[in-house]
Amino acid sequence: MNRPLPVAGTAQVRRYARDLYRGHARMFQAAVGLHLLAACTGLAGPRLLGELVQGIQDGARIAELDRLALAIAGFVLVQAVLIRFAHVASARLGERVLARLRERFIARVLSLPLGTVEAAGTGDLLTRTTRDVDALSKCVRFAVPETMIALITTVLIVVALLVLDPLLAAPLLVGVPLTVAGTRWYLRRAPKGYLRQNAAYSEVTDGLSETVEGARTVEALGRQGQRAGRTDADLRRSWIAERYTLHLRTVWWPVLEVSYVLPLVITLLAGGWLYLRGAVTLGQTAAAVLYVQQLIDPLDRLLNWLDELQVGAASLARLLGVAADPPAGRTPAREPENDRIELRDVRFGYVAGREVLHGIDLTLEPGERIAVVGLSGAGKSTLGCLLAGLHRPTSGSITVGGVPLGELSPDRLRAHVALVSQEHHVFAGTLRENVAMVRPAAPDPEIRAALAAVHALDWVDGWPAGLDTPVGAGGRLLTPAQAQQVALARLILADPHTLVLDEATVLLDPRSARDLERSLAAVVRGRTVVAIAHRLFSAHDADRVAVVEDGRIVELGSHDELVAKNGAYAALWHSWQGEDQKERAPQDAPFP
Amino acid sequence: MRRLPVADPGRPVDRSAARYLCWLVRRSRLTTAAAVGLAVTWMGFQAMVPAIVGQAIDAAAQRRGTALLGWGLILLFVGVAHALAGIARHRFAVANWLGASFRTVQVTVRHANLLGATLPRRLDAGEVVAIGTSDLTHIGGAIDIAARSLGGLIAIVTVTVLLLHVSVPLGLVVLLGVPVLLLVAGALIRPLHRQQEAYRRQQGRLTGNAADLVAGLHVIRGVGGEQAMADRYATESRALRDAGVRTARVEALLEAAQVLLPGIFLVLVTWLGARFALQQRITVGEMVSFYAYAAFLVAPMRQLTEAIDKLTRGHVSAQRVVTMLGVRTDLPDPAAPVPLPRGELADPESRVVIAAGRLTAIAAADPVDAARVADRLGRYADGATLDGLPLAAAALSEVRRRILVVENEARLFSGRLRSDLDPAGDGALPEALEAAAATEIVEALPAGVQTRVAERGRSFSGGQQQRLRLARALLADPEIMILVEPTNAVDPHTEELIAERLRAARAGRTTVICTSSPLVLNRTDHVFYLEQGRVVASGTHHDLLVAEPRYAAMVSRGDLP
Repeated sequence: MNRPLPVAGTAQVRRYARDLYRGHARMFQAAVGLHLLAACTGLAGPRLLGELVQGIQDGARIAELDRLALAIAGFVLVQAVLIRFAHVASARLGERVLARLRERFIARVLSLPLGTVEAAGTGDLLTRTTRDVDALSKCVRFAVPETMIALITTVLIVVALLVLDPLLAAPLLVGVPLTVAGTRWYLRRAPKGYLRQNAAYSEVTDGLSETVEGARTVEALGRQGQRAGRTDADLRRSWIAERYTLHLRTVWWPVLEVSYVLPLVITLLAGGWLYLRGAVTLGQTAAAVLYVQQLIDPLDRLLNWLDELQVGAASLARLLGVAADPPAGRTPAREPENDRIELRDVRFGYVAGREVLHGIDLTLEPGERIAVVGLSGAGKSTLGCLLAGLHRPTSGSITVGGVPLGELSPDRLRAHVALVSQEHHVFAGTLRENVAMVRPAAPDPEIRAALAAVHALDWVDGWPAGLDTPVGAGGRLLTPAQAQQVALARLILADPHTLVLDEATVLLDPRSARDLERSLAAVVRGRTVVAIAHRLFSAHDADRVAVVEDGRIVELGSHDELVAKNGAYAALWHSWQGEDQKERAPQDAPFP
Repeated sequence: MRRLPVADPGRPVDRSAARYLCWLVRRSRLTTAAAVGLAVTWMGFQAMVPAIVGQAIDAAAQRRGTALLGWGLILLFVGVAHALAGIARHRFAVANWLGASFRTVQVTVRHANLLGATLPRRLDAGEVVAIGTSDLTHIGGAIDIAARSLGGLIAIVTVTVLLLHVSVPLGLVVLLGVPVLLLVAGALIRPLHRQQEAYRRQQGRLTGNAADLVAGLHVIRGVGGEQAMADRYATESRALRDAGVRTARVEALLEAAQVLLPGIFLVLVTWLGARFALQQRITVGEMVSFYAYAAFLVAPMRQLTEAIDKLTRGHVSAQRVVTMLGVRTDLPDPAAPVPLPRGELADPESRVVIAAGRLTAIAAADPVDAARVADRLGRYADGATLDGLPLAAAALSEVRRRILVVENEARLFSGRLRSDLDPAGDGALPEALEAAAATEIVEALPAGVQTRVAERGRSFSGGQQQRLRLARALLADPEIMILVEPTNAVDPHTEELIAERLRAARAGRTTVICTSSPLVLNRTDHVFYLEQGRVVASGTHHDLLVAEPRYAAMVSRGDLP
């Protein structure tokens, strides 16, 4: 049923890599060049040391030795300096590329059609914005430069060996088949194993968070044993996942080590034999053995970063899948002729084949107040989302002033219609940012006016820091009612001509809700208001009431008309009024 | 590897962070001892390599072909043995790592269970959750490195003795050089940590920002703010980029130092060795092995630096665990708990008195007042009495068993829905779902009550969560149930159904509902109307509607009679 967000294909990733290189060619060349130089200077050591050994063998003078030792020290110093600059250069490049990519990704997330996100599940998007961004960051910050350095060093050492004597480089080939076979075996299994291990670990932390954050619930329901059991089960799964990856390493690591030791042994024996045959000098043999030993570290690093690179590449593909997904095509829109919103035979389903709305026809006259009522699950909220352009109808049309909502860019769309739903999210940041996010340039008096209109100014001014108080995660916690007031203040500041209020006051206590609705009515006078409610107060005051049942509008008219009609609305109204309680629950009767 | 986690993590020592870490080590002393032993063996094999290479080169220099071959084969044997010791060492290291971190999770969860409602009052939940997300890794890492670095230390001592044996002056250079190198590297590690910490914090902020944005996507798409949100993210993202470059500057210094310092040290040792060799105080082969030993020492030395770093972090993390473990419940049991009687549950402060076996409502002008009364009635705060006996005089576990307070902050737990609703599996599940009007929610799920619930029950709407929570409470079937605003997120039709069925489901049991909904109030036996936290009127819903205009105004929101 889930339709996951797209993942970039190989071609797309390649194209991205190419563009990336073109955009940062200078920085890239500088970083690689510096690493190359650093690695080159690193090779001088064994070479000179070989000469040192040779010098002793040949009975060189002390001064000669001192000169050689000083030269080695000089190379080490230069190498250290080069490493310092190379590291900073590659970090600068990596950080810049990462920042660009994640910013582009987030900008794209913000313009994703809500339907796409909902079909994939917020979890998918959340994983990408948090875990994938972090995984890629780790990869770019550590795996990429480390692999690059290791690769450069490996290549240079091999070249140095070849220069020293091609015969002495030949034993290296002995290790290759073993390394390749072992690594291929490992890499085929590792990414999945590590992903499972990370997932199991997340389960452990999630379970712990649930227990900690729900400690009161655990105590109230006496679920201590269940929580401890869940933790132990999570840990067991985590252990099984760890055991699997450990098994992979148990096979792979010794194979690698043996593949390092074999060339070393053969170089030593072959070098010794060649020396005895007079084909090479003792110094050359010593240098070759040291080079082979020196090769082990970069080679090992290179191979051990491979799985990290695989994980990073997978994350990159998932980020690019969203970031590079072309924005939904918008034809250059015409300007709406007026503020009238019209729905013609609108059908909609979240999932293909499961229609939620079956042919809605409705015209919102500018300035009218219309209440949408019905039972939970009838499709009221879905209708609200469609009216506000959050979803596009599967078939039929929704137009404002003759222009389909889907043709308007988000900014222009919301100059016409905006929605506040029962989902009241408070963003981490100051209260001012929370209200002004819809119009970042709005001056304080306007923000205050918007808060005053939703009766929130009293409590805001009661806070020492007022509008500057940090709220949301990590800040001051707002009560659900306050959060809803903030959501409404945003709407007022956004100032569209049509407002869709989906249960926008449900969390306020009844009296405040009543007051707030009245003051809201004053503020939005002249605008079109669609109020979706399960409590029927707003219906009573509305110009028209639309009763939604099972994805259709079954009744449409004023409160009085519909009550008089004695149909679905009348039944809802009566039950809400509690007028029929006498048959249902005799007043003073004891419990049945 | 031994099966983990252990069934019983044991009673942790919570006097200090160091003692806690020691406790963890003691709990897995066998694997720790094995890890130390293998670390030494592994290092030992590694240390043999340069000596063997040196001997082989000497053999070649002296034109002894058979000896050369012999040393070559020995090198092969030692190489393979080194590989095997290495993987065995790694396996024990992982076992220690997992053992310590798993045990930490277990004791944290068990202590959180013990604290219950005290936890949110006494501790910042975020801090405790951080135990699971980061401290765990640090504690595991500390225990692991403690064993491994002990092996490294032994290797350093052994090599130094070997070197002293060959040449005293050279041995002394190594002996004095190592601590100097450690000190210099150590001096760089502290600023690096500061930068890394700053980076990590900023990364946390950025991730939080992104998660916040995704969580509020629906809101943003409704009223706008994409640009503001993208700008905000970009600002944080650039701050992270800059923090990354700042960290890299310090890292770069450390990287450079890690090449420069051992490099210079190596040159010094080799240069001295070469001079001695030229003076024939040592052989050429010994000189090469001197170089190799000095090179070999770099690894255990780096490990020691790593150990200092990881032990410090582990200590800081253990401190957080110990702080959490040190918190005691703020609703302690009395010294001599008395059994709870049956009877009227009363809250003297508000003057609410709940008759046993009846359905009572508390309607407050300010819903916060009703919630406070519920807290006292359920002994989340002191003050209430049962049949005249203060609840505080009884054991808390008995109070919890007999009285259940259900509030909207109570969360659904992830996992199979059935195991959250009815963990014992013996309740009347269909009946409870029906009473909470939740049957259709479950029927719509792909696998019914066996469906897995997402974390915190996020996949359910607010109204659905409320109904499932109610079903869960009904299944718990407590003698006294106190419901706080149990229907404020459902439509009136459903609300009416619930009110009707709840009455039947709780027949004969004591039930209290804090609500202001006329649909619910009208089906209760008795209503207390509260203003300023005190009862100002009580009676049936209808009596109050007639007799108390403020009550009538509240339930009808002011304009209906």
